[in-house]
Amino acid sequence: MTMNSEPDGGASRDDLLQRIELMETMIAEGRQATARFGWIFVLWGLVDIGGMALEMAHPGHIWNWPVALTIGMALQFAGLSLRKRVGRECRPNTQARAVSAIWGMMGATLVMYCFTAIFSHQANGRGYLAAIFMTIGLAHAASAIILRWPVQGGVAVLWWAGGITCFFVSGAWFLTIFGVEMVFGMVLFGLYGIYLDHRSAQRIDGAHA
Amino acid sequence: MPDLPELDPVIHGKLRLAVLSLLVGVEEADFSWLRQKTGSTDGNLGAQMIKLEEAGYVAMEKRFAGRKPQTLYRMTSTGREALATYVSALKHLLGGAF
Repeated sequence: MTMNSEPDGGASRDDLLQRIELMETMIAEGRQATARFGWIFVLWGLVDIGGMALEMAHPGHIWNWPVALTIGMALQFAGLSLRKRVGRECRPNTQARAVSAIWGMMGATLVMYCFTAIFSHQANGRGYLAAIFMTIGLAHAASAIILRWPVQGGVAVLWWAGGITCFFVSGAWFLTIFGVEMVFGMVLFGLYGIYLDHRSAQRIDGAHA
Repeated sequence: MPDLPELDPVIHGKLRLAVLSLLVGVEEADFSWLRQKTGSTDGNLGAQMIKLEEAGYVAMEKRFAGRKPQTLYRMTSTGREALATYVSALKHLLGGAF
């Protein structure tokens, strides 16, 4: 579909259907520009799994999680800076800003919470882990409502269920719950987001061909 | 024969429709971003943007990002209304296709 010619007069059924297809493609592209997010979830899923691996290798070491979280923040900052430099020369709409604010503030809250708990030696027990899961669930749920995206709503339920489960199982189950949340609620959800971006990009390329 | 709604000729042009559809999803966008997304040329896109501006559907602002000049476009409320009217006219014309 080339857009350098302007067949203004045409109004056949095919022409009108082409216009609809064009609008759908371009609206998707505008949205896509404001919602490329999947890599961040994959990143944080892997960072947290790495943090847990450190914890298992050096049980109880106070620097396990601060090191993992700092690496995660550095990688995310680098990724966002790179994206900005590569150039997305459009400013996101209010909806995208709202979602980004929720996740940004959730990240800031968890950093304050985890670092304070770790350095004050309070980062243990089911309540600590449950609070983290519930907070992540809250961000997913708010985001799902704004984006009207049931898949993300399902992920929110998964996080909340993990948080609730923490109060009813023995400590031996914490690692399993943590693994399930990170793999399904972070890594796989992020990969699904990347897949959606990729599919949308293919549709746009098809429309330009 | 029932009255068929007329399609706004300013919006109906493919490139102008593409630009408005892009702008509806963002707050504002740079000229080069619009050119990249529509696969258009500078000259053609510039000409179509002037038509959209003249119709009051988009607003243009020139800015500097550091030393680099930027031409930014945003959709106006008139543009949003016109696009909504265009979409409902399309729906009407296509009947059950939606």
